[in-house]
Amino acid sequence: MSQSNHKLQHQIKQEQDALARHTAGARAGLEFTTAEEAIRADADATVLPPAIAERLKKSIQAEPPPSKRSWWKRIFGH
Amino acid sequence: MSALTTPCPVEPPTAQPDADDAPLAPERDGPPPIRAPLEPPELAAIYDEHAHSIYYLALRMLGDPTQAEDATHDVFLKAYRKLGDFRGQSTVRTWLYRITINHCQNLLASWHRRHVFPTEDDALYERAPSTADTPLRVLENKELGQRIQKALDALPDEYRLLLLLVADEKLSYDEVGALTRQSADAVRGKLHRARKAFALHFHQTA
Repeated sequence: MSQSNHKLQHQIKQEQDALARHTAGARAGLEFTTAEEAIRADADATVLPPAIAERLKKSIQAEPPPSKRSWWKRIFGH
Repeated sequence: MSALTTPCPVEPPTAQPDADDAPLAPERDGPPPIRAPLEPPELAAIYDEHAHSIYYLALRMLGDPTQAEDATHDVFLKAYRKLGDFRGQSTVRTWLYRITINHCQNLLASWHRRHVFPTEDDALYERAPSTADTPLRVLENKELGQRIQKALDALPDEYRLLLLLVADEKLSYDEVGALTRQSADAVRGKLHRARKAFALHFHQTA
Protein backbone atom coordinates (compact mmCIF):
# COMPACT_ATOMS: atom_id res chain seq x y z
CA MET A 1 0.00 0.00 0.00
CA SER A 2 2.76 2.39 0.90
CA GLN A 3 4.48 1.52 -2.36
CA SER A 4 1.27 2.37 -4.20
CA ASN A 5 1.04 5.68 -2.36
CA HIS A 6 4.63 6.45 -3.19
CA LYS A 7 3.98 5.72 -6.86
CA LEU A 8 0.91 7.98 -6.85
CA GLN A 9 2.80 10.78 -5.13
CA HIS A 10 5.60 10.44 -7.69
CA GLN A 11 3.09 10.67 -10.51
CA ILE A 12 1.45 13.76 -9.00
CA LYS A 13 4.87 15.35 -8.54
CA GLN A 14 5.71 14.68 -12.20
CA GLU A 15 2.44 16.25 -13.34
CA GLN A 16 3.01 19.27 -11.12
CA ASP A 17 6.52 19.70 -12.50
CA ALA A 18 5.23 19.48 -16.06
CA LEU A 19 2.55 22.05 -15.29
CA ALA A 20 5.12 24.33 -13.66
CA ARG A 21 7.39 24.04 -16.68
CA HIS A 22 4.48 24.82 -19.02
CA THR A 23 3.42 27.83 -16.94
CA ALA A 24 6.97 29.11 -16.72
CA GLY A 25 7.31 28.76 -20.48
CA ALA A 26 4.10 30.67 -21.05
CA ARG A 27 5.22 33.39 -18.64
CA ALA A 28 8.55 33.69 -20.38
CA GLY A 29 6.69 34.31 -23.63
CA LEU A 30 8.52 36.10 -26.39
CA GLU A 31 11.57 38.27 -25.95
CA PHE A 32 13.19 40.64 -28.41
CA THR A 33 16.28 42.78 -28.20
CA THR A 34 15.37 45.41 -30.80
CA ALA A 35 12.27 47.07 -32.15
CA GLU A 36 12.91 45.65 -35.60
CA GLU A 37 13.13 42.13 -34.20
CA ALA A 38 9.75 42.54 -32.47
CA ILE A 39 8.22 44.07 -35.59
CA ARG A 40 9.50 41.21 -37.75
CA ALA A 41 7.99 38.65 -35.38
CA ASP A 42 4.72 40.56 -35.43
CA ALA A 43 4.80 40.69 -39.23
CA ASP A 44 5.46 36.94 -39.40
CA ALA A 45 2.46 36.33 -37.16
CA THR A 46 0.20 38.60 -39.23
CA VAL A 47 -1.94 36.81 -41.78
CA LEU A 48 -2.69 38.42 -45.12
CA PRO A 49 -6.50 38.39 -45.49
CA PRO A 50 -7.29 36.15 -48.49
CA ALA A 51 -10.28 38.32 -49.38
CA ILE A 52 -7.96 41.03 -50.74
CA ALA A 53 -6.82 38.91 -53.69
CA GLU A 54 -10.38 38.03 -54.67
CA ARG A 55 -11.48 41.64 -54.37
CA LEU A 56 -8.49 42.82 -56.38
CA LYS A 57 -9.21 40.28 -59.10
CA LYS A 58 -12.76 41.61 -59.47
CA SER A 59 -11.56 45.21 -59.50
CA ILE A 60 -8.99 44.46 -62.20
CA GLN A 61 -11.56 42.65 -64.32
CA ALA A 62 -13.64 45.81 -64.24
CA GLU A 63 -10.68 47.96 -65.33
CA PRO A 64 -9.84 48.88 -68.91
CA PRO A 65 -6.58 47.20 -70.02
CA PRO A 66 -3.60 49.32 -69.00
CA SER A 67 -1.42 50.88 -71.63
CA LYS A 68 1.34 48.56 -72.79
CA ARG A 69 3.40 51.38 -74.27
CA SER A 70 6.63 52.02 -72.46
CA TRP A 71 6.93 55.27 -70.59
CA TRP A 72 9.58 56.69 -72.89
CA LYS A 73 7.52 55.79 -75.97
CA ARG A 74 4.54 57.62 -74.52
CA ILE A 75 6.68 60.66 -73.77
CA PHE A 76 8.68 60.76 -76.97
CA GLY A 77 6.09 59.25 -79.26
CA HIS A 78 8.21 56.52 -80.86
CA MET B 1 10.58 37.30 -60.99
CA SER B 2 13.43 37.15 -63.45
CA ALA B 3 11.45 39.25 -65.91
CA LEU B 4 11.44 42.05 -63.38
CA THR B 5 15.18 42.32 -63.37
CA THR B 6 15.98 41.75 -67.03
CA PRO B 7 18.25 44.57 -68.20
CA CYS B 8 16.76 46.79 -70.87
CA PRO B 9 18.89 46.69 -74.05
CA VAL B 10 18.53 50.42 -74.72
CA GLU B 11 18.87 52.87 -71.90
CA PRO B 12 15.75 55.04 -71.96
CA PRO B 13 16.12 58.79 -71.70
CA THR B 14 15.63 60.53 -68.41
CA ALA B 15 12.18 61.94 -67.86
CA GLN B 16 10.44 63.81 -65.11
CA PRO B 17 9.48 61.33 -62.45
CA ASP B 18 5.91 60.96 -61.33
CA ALA B 19 4.74 61.22 -57.75
CA ASP B 20 4.94 57.54 -56.92
CA ASP B 21 8.41 56.48 -57.85
CA ALA B 22 10.15 59.83 -57.94
CA PRO B 23 12.10 59.53 -54.68
CA LEU B 24 13.29 56.02 -55.33
CA ALA B 25 16.11 56.70 -57.73
CA PRO B 26 18.53 58.85 -55.69
CA GLU B 27 20.85 57.82 -52.88
CA ARG B 28 22.76 55.37 -55.05
CA ASP B 29 26.41 55.53 -55.91
CA GLY B 30 26.14 54.83 -59.62
CA PRO B 31 23.43 55.07 -62.25
CA PRO B 32 20.26 53.23 -61.27
CA PRO B 33 19.77 49.75 -62.68
CA ILE B 34 17.47 49.72 -65.69
CA ARG B 35 14.88 47.01 -65.73
CA ALA B 36 12.29 46.02 -68.26
CA PRO B 37 8.89 47.65 -67.82
CA LEU B 38 6.39 45.45 -66.06
CA GLU B 39 3.61 43.81 -68.00
CA PRO B 40 0.15 43.13 -66.53
CA PRO B 41 0.48 39.32 -66.39
CA GLU B 42 3.27 39.83 -63.87
CA LEU B 43 0.93 41.42 -61.35
CA ALA B 44 -0.06 38.06 -59.86
CA ALA B 45 3.57 37.19 -59.18
CA ILE B 46 4.17 40.66 -57.74
CA TYR B 47 1.14 40.28 -55.49
CA ASP B 48 2.27 36.87 -54.26
CA GLU B 49 5.69 38.18 -53.39
CA HIS B 50 4.88 41.55 -51.85
CA ALA B 51 1.23 41.62 -50.70
CA HIS B 52 1.97 40.43 -47.19
CA SER B 53 4.59 43.14 -46.60
CA ILE B 54 2.36 45.81 -48.09
CA TYR B 55 -0.56 44.71 -45.91
CA TYR B 56 1.60 44.71 -42.79
CA LEU B 57 2.99 48.18 -43.52
CA ALA B 58 -0.54 49.51 -44.08
CA LEU B 59 -1.80 47.73 -40.97
CA ARG B 60 0.78 49.28 -38.69
CA MET B 61 0.61 52.71 -40.35
CA LEU B 62 -3.19 52.87 -40.17
CA GLY B 63 -3.68 50.74 -37.07
CA ASP B 64 -6.85 49.11 -38.36
CA PRO B 65 -7.14 45.72 -40.14
CA THR B 66 -10.15 46.70 -42.26
CA GLN B 67 -8.54 49.92 -43.43
CA ALA B 68 -5.29 48.06 -44.09
CA GLU B 69 -7.21 45.57 -46.22
CA ASP B 70 -8.76 48.40 -48.22
CA ALA B 71 -5.40 50.11 -48.56
CA THR B 72 -3.68 46.94 -49.80
CA HIS B 73 -6.39 46.47 -52.42
CA ASP B 74 -6.09 50.11 -53.50
CA VAL B 75 -2.28 49.98 -53.67
CA PHE B 76 -2.24 46.96 -55.96
CA LEU B 77 -5.04 48.38 -58.11
CA LYS B 78 -3.02 51.56 -58.45
CA ALA B 79 0.06 49.50 -59.26
CA TYR B 80 -1.92 47.66 -61.95
CA ARG B 81 -2.97 50.97 -63.48
CA LYS B 82 0.60 52.27 -63.38
CA LEU B 83 2.46 49.17 -64.50
CA GLY B 84 3.31 50.83 -67.80
CA ASP B 85 4.75 53.83 -65.95
CA PHE B 86 7.14 51.79 -63.85
CA ARG B 87 10.56 52.66 -65.16
CA GLY B 88 12.65 50.22 -63.23
CA GLN B 89 14.71 52.87 -61.49
CA SER B 90 13.83 51.22 -58.21
CA THR B 91 12.92 47.71 -57.22
CA VAL B 92 9.31 46.68 -57.46
CA ARG B 93 9.23 46.40 -53.69
CA THR B 94 10.31 49.99 -53.07
CA TRP B 95 7.94 51.18 -55.82
CA LEU B 96 5.04 49.43 -54.05
CA TYR B 97 6.21 50.75 -50.68
CA ARG B 98 6.25 54.30 -52.09
CA ILE B 99 2.65 53.90 -53.31
CA THR B 100 1.63 52.44 -49.94
CA ILE B 101 3.31 55.17 -47.89
CA ASN B 102 1.72 57.92 -50.01
CA HIS B 103 -1.67 56.23 -49.86
CA CYS B 104 -1.59 55.73 -46.09
CA GLN B 105 -0.23 59.21 -45.41
CA ASN B 106 -3.04 60.70 -47.51
CA LEU B 107 -5.59 58.68 -45.57
CA LEU B 108 -4.11 59.70 -42.24
CA ALA B 109 -4.03 63.36 -43.28
CA SER B 110 -7.60 63.27 -44.51
CA TRP B 111 -8.77 61.64 -41.31
CA HIS B 112 -6.92 64.20 -39.20
CA ARG B 113 -5.41 61.24 -37.48
CA ARG B 114 -1.83 62.33 -37.64
CA HIS B 115 -0.27 61.97 -34.29
CA VAL B 116 1.60 65.08 -33.30
CA PHE B 117 3.62 65.03 -30.12
CA PRO B 118 5.17 68.47 -29.88
CA THR B 119 6.89 67.68 -26.61
CA GLU B 120 8.22 64.29 -27.65
CA ASP B 121 11.09 65.48 -29.76
CA ASP B 122 14.54 64.00 -30.13
CA ALA B 123 15.79 65.82 -27.05
CA LEU B 124 13.06 64.30 -24.93
CA TYR B 125 13.99 60.80 -26.04
CA GLU B 126 17.62 61.55 -25.34
CA ARG B 127 16.76 62.64 -21.79
CA ALA B 128 14.37 59.77 -21.11
CA PRO B 129 15.66 56.90 -18.99
CA SER B 130 17.17 54.35 -21.30
CA THR B 131 15.07 51.25 -21.76
CA ALA B 132 16.61 50.44 -25.12
CA ASP B 133 18.79 47.74 -23.63
CA THR B 134 15.95 46.13 -21.73
CA PRO B 135 14.53 43.18 -23.67
CA LEU B 136 11.07 43.67 -25.14
CA ARG B 137 8.96 40.92 -23.60
CA VAL B 138 5.42 39.77 -24.34
CA LEU B 139 3.46 36.67 -23.42
CA GLU B 140 2.00 35.81 -26.81
CA ASN B 141 1.75 36.93 -30.41
CA LYS B 142 -1.65 38.55 -29.96
CA GLU B 143 -0.29 40.74 -27.20
CA LEU B 144 2.78 41.47 -29.33
CA GLY B 145 0.64 42.96 -32.11
CA GLN B 146 -1.38 45.10 -29.73
CA ARG B 147 1.66 46.44 -27.91
CA ILE B 148 3.62 47.09 -31.09
CA GLN B 149 0.67 49.05 -32.46
CA LYS B 150 0.40 51.13 -29.29
CA ALA B 151 4.13 51.80 -29.22
CA LEU B 152 4.19 52.73 -32.91
CA ASP B 153 1.14 54.98 -32.53
CA ALA B 154 2.94 56.88 -29.78
CA LEU B 155 5.97 57.58 -31.98
CA PRO B 156 6.50 60.56 -34.27
CA ASP B 157 5.47 59.66 -37.84
CA GLU B 158 9.06 59.63 -39.04
CA TYR B 159 10.26 57.16 -36.41
CA ARG B 160 7.28 54.86 -36.96
CA LEU B 161 7.88 54.66 -40.70
CA LEU B 162 11.62 54.30 -40.25
CA LEU B 163 11.28 51.31 -37.92
CA LEU B 164 8.68 49.61 -40.11
CA LEU B 165 10.90 49.95 -43.16
CA VAL B 166 14.16 48.96 -41.48
CA ALA B 167 12.44 45.89 -40.04
CA ASP B 168 12.02 44.67 -43.62
CA GLU B 169 15.28 42.87 -44.20
CA LYS B 170 14.75 43.00 -47.97
CA LEU B 171 15.22 46.77 -47.96
CA SER B 172 18.69 48.30 -47.87
CA TYR B 173 19.45 51.43 -45.85
CA ASP B 174 19.77 53.24 -49.19
CA GLU B 175 16.26 52.17 -50.13
CA VAL B 176 14.89 53.11 -46.71
CA GLY B 177 16.61 56.48 -47.13
CA ALA B 178 15.05 56.97 -50.56
CA LEU B 179 11.61 56.08 -49.24
CA THR B 180 11.95 58.50 -46.34
CA ARG B 181 13.69 61.18 -48.42
CA GLN B 182 17.00 61.21 -46.58
CA SER B 183 20.44 59.70 -46.85
CA ALA B 184 21.31 56.23 -45.63
CA ASP B 185 23.59 57.85 -43.04
CA ALA B 186 20.68 59.92 -41.75
CA VAL B 187 18.64 56.72 -41.48
CA ARG B 188 21.38 55.09 -39.40
CA GLY B 189 21.62 58.16 -37.19
CA LYS B 190 17.89 58.40 -36.53
CA LEU B 191 17.45 54.68 -36.08
CA HIS B 192 19.12 54.77 -32.69
CA ARG B 193 16.67 57.37 -31.41
CA ALA B 194 13.74 55.59 -33.03
CA ARG B 195 14.67 52.33 -31.29
CA LYS B 196 15.03 54.11 -27.97
CA ALA B 197 11.67 55.85 -28.38
CA PHE B 198 10.01 52.57 -29.38
CA ALA B 199 11.45 50.74 -26.36
CA LEU B 200 10.28 53.51 -24.06
CA HIS B 201 6.70 53.34 -25.31
CA PHE B 202 6.70 49.56 -25.62
CA HIS B 203 7.59 49.18 -21.95
CA GLN B 204 4.92 51.72 -21.03
CA THR B 205 2.28 49.59 -22.75
CA ALA B 206 2.93 46.63 -20.44
